[in-house]
Amino acid sequence: MRRFPWVSASAVAFLVILALLAPYLALPDPTRMDLAGRFAAPHASHLLGQDEYGRDVLSRLVWGARVSLSVSLGAALLAAVVGVTLGVIGGYLRGGAEFVTLRLTDILLCFPPMLLALLIVTLFGPGARTLIPVLAIVYAPSFARVAYAGALTIRSLDYVTAIEALGAGRPRIMARTILPNIAGPVLVQFSLAVAASMVLEAGLSFLGLGVTPPAPSWGLMIGAARATMSQAPQLLLWPCAALTAAILSINALCDGLRDYVDPQPAARRPTRLADRTAPGLAAPPSRDTVLSLRGLSVAIDTPRGAIQPVRDVSFDIKAGETLALVGESGSGKSLTGLALMGLLPPAARVEAGRAWLDGIEVLDSAPDIVRGLRGDRVAMIFQDPMSSLNPVHRVGDQIAEVILAHRDVGAADARSRAVALLRQVGVPDPPRRAAAYPHEMSGGMCQRVMIGMAVANGPRLLIADEPTTALDVTVQAQVLTLMSDLKRETGVALLFITHNLPVVAEIADRVVVLYAGQVVEQGDAAETFAHPRHPYTKALLGSAPREEGPPPEGIPGSVPSPGELPSGCCFAPRCAMRLAACERPPPLVEIGGGRTSRCIRWSEM
Amino acid sequence: MGWILRRIAISLLLIWVVSSIVFLAIHLVPGDPAEVLLSLGGSAPDADSVAALRAQLGLDQPILTQYLHSLSHFVVGDLGDSLSDGTPVMSEALRRLPRTLELIGAAALISTAAGVPAGVAAAVNRGGPLGRCFSALSGLALSTPVFVVGSLLVMIFAQWLRLAPAGGYVAFGEDPLRHLLLLSMPAATIALGLWAQIFRMTRSSLLDVLQRDFIRTARAKGLREHAVIMRHALRNALAPILTVLALNVGSLLGGTVLVEYIFNWPGLSGALVEAVNNRDYPMVVGCIVIISTLFVSLNLLVDIAYGLLDPRVRAR
Repeated sequence: MRRFPWVSASAVAFLVILALLAPYLALPDPTRMDLAGRFAAPHASHLLGQDEYGRDVLSRLVWGARVSLSVSLGAALLAAVVGVTLGVIGGYLRGGAEFVTLRLTDILLCFPPMLLALLIVTLFGPGARTLIPVLAIVYAPSFARVAYAGALTIRSLDYVTAIEALGAGRPRIMARTILPNIAGPVLVQFSLAVAASMVLEAGLSFLGLGVTPPAPSWGLMIGAARATMSQAPQLLLWPCAALTAAILSINALCDGLRDYVDPQPAARRPTRLADRTAPGLAAPPSRDTVLSLRGLSVAIDTPRGAIQPVRDVSFDIKAGETLALVGESGSGKSLTGLALMGLLPPAARVEAGRAWLDGIEVLDSAPDIVRGLRGDRVAMIFQDPMSSLNPVHRVGDQIAEVILAHRDVGAADARSRAVALLRQVGVPDPPRRAAAYPHEMSGGMCQRVMIGMAVANGPRLLIADEPTTALDVTVQAQVLTLMSDLKRETGVALLFITHNLPVVAEIADRVVVLYAGQVVEQGDAAETFAHPRHPYTKALLGSAPREEGPPPEGIPGSVPSPGELPSGCCFAPRCAMRLAACERPPPLVEIGGGRTSRCIRWSEM
Repeated sequence: MGWILRRIAISLLLIWVVSSIVFLAIHLVPGDPAEVLLSLGGSAPDADSVAALRAQLGLDQPILTQYLHSLSHFVVGDLGDSLSDGTPVMSEALRRLPRTLELIGAAALISTAAGVPAGVAAAVNRGGPLGRCFSALSGLALSTPVFVVGSLLVMIFAQWLRLAPAGGYVAFGEDPLRHLLLLSMPAATIALGLWAQIFRMTRSSLLDVLQRDFIRTARAKGLREHAVIMRHALRNALAPILTVLALNVGSLLGGTVLVEYIFNWPGLSGALVEAVNNRDYPMVVGCIVIISTLFVSLNLLVDIAYGLLDPRVRAR
């Protein structure tokens, strides 16, 4: 939770205390005229000088605060009571009360506040007495809206339903449960209304339609000083400064309260580490290796210190090969893919590691070099195709855009290539579909568009992050077939990130199993599935749904969070085969046949 | 096209309700307008002149007759005659309305032209010195009432620096340069607060959009950051910015009341203040109905602009 906004709160408190103490402050009478002392400069008995009628400026400022605050606090209070009552009744009882509340606020919000105030002043005449109800009517609708929205949300919460079931009366529920829960937003709205009423009161007084002279009011003082601003500019400056400072501190308090009541986690600025350690670097990889990743570690800074959701991950992918990166959610597989693209979220950073794509280093290169590779030599498709496409651009244009970004072609040329790509990824009626918006297409079609976009420039590596998870089962199979076909036709290397083992068995040549950010097993897909050499892989296979054999068993326990990793083997707490030796971190060992395992008992399995 | 027609119908309904409320407010409030009007001088009016004025204003008719009478006249664009000089309210309002619109248009233009780039800069370089500077400035701008800004501008630019006249109006046709010079200060006065709103909304809306999946896709395409922001983020961030602009047209129209008064700008809002002071009921009602109609129409335009910006809205 954020800190309470003490600075602005004390400024507002100072203002309130000043206004309360005005009669006891041994100030000259703010309305006493002294024509001999007109425009007198500051001196001992008049610290800020005297105005055009010889009245004491300081005293008028302090008494002005009293008038201003009493009008705006009174108006905001009245508006809050009326508005919240209407809003809570409307939001809780629904039906007719709801209709009345909503339409009434709709209509009142049709009038600009100043106009509504002017209309009411016309009817009832100016004066401080009229001002409070006037301002209350102007600002009550916003309270009603806030309270209505709050009541609506809280009404549907389980505990309100529970209290209702226990037989609590409606007025009691509204007063005891809903009110405390909407207090935060109403409080924020209250300080907004105080500031706004203060501005409106001063504005009306400035026009001579608010507080009537000779009562001291900042708006009146500003209005009067305009006539004499060439002789006595200070008479204009003082009330302007007082009014602005008062509103500034109330606004600051309001912003502070909003953060305090409704804290949003502050995202960190993206930082790029200049120096990164790169332990155990292999020589740059051989020619048919498209991607070679060595020792990738990703760190995320949290308020409780940095965590490492990806630790020392290494693998290679050859041209035309499909490597499946497998693990439960939270295993670090998506972050690995994003790190390779240079697209880690702002809070995360690559802490160590090197990756070569076609011999070009991508983890530690200048952002511009990596950007030039993205969408060209390496492309990525994401889990949710609907939200991954921009809703306001036609899909054809979105595909053409990636061609234009990397190829020196004309716009018309790019567009016709986009249509050809749509045909290639199996979108029916491509010329017409190219002109469609994403929301006009199904999820499967959108994912085909994403794939078309990804292969538009003939990438060497395609990273697919759970590309079928958000799709219907029948569509999943079609999209997988499409990706296999594309891989066969173009020889693209595929990094397939998934938690879905049946899919892996179907599409992958090799598999890398991640657990708690570490590689636990790696090898040929068919062999790994036939003879897993790590208890986690075995458990994962056991928990996957299948057509025949015993029903799937879950894995006991859950993935340790990156902040609370065991000191030894990360899987040990959930493992049936653990020994005392598992208290020490196990190394990733070669077990023959190009396979590796991070289990000390791999040979017993 | 259906969605546009539906929104137009809702707006017409709102305008009808608003004008009915203004009518009712005038007539249901205790105190007879004719009496109030005639007692402005301080002395109690004699019964005969009150009765004469009541007849002139049609106040002796039953309230429903009066209502239907005003409504039927309102529909054909007749808002009655001003009490102070007898000119038709509609023609006076139409003469002054373009000047107020010009003021608002200029202010909206200035504040958008300055606010959107500032917001983009602050969102892209989050936490940078420029963004902090703009944020502090916007906090101050939001806290300074429009008439304070106006009065200070007059003092600084007209009194001290003598760069611009303190106020007044010259038709564009007569002297274009002087017209723009006279326009600049009131427009800048209104623009300052609006700038702060637009700046803040642009910044937060853009920060929000930059978190979305399709921005990651745009980056995955290898687009330059400039293209990611301009083509993919900003257009999706525009809808909330437009809303802020539209919601603020209300306070803008309110702001013009004070600004036109300060700068002697002979617009509709200035006429309203004068009418309120003179208890010129037909003029007050006319001005408020016209300005509220304007407000509702602007909201309608924003709704339509929404649909054009975001194709998904049309489907709803």
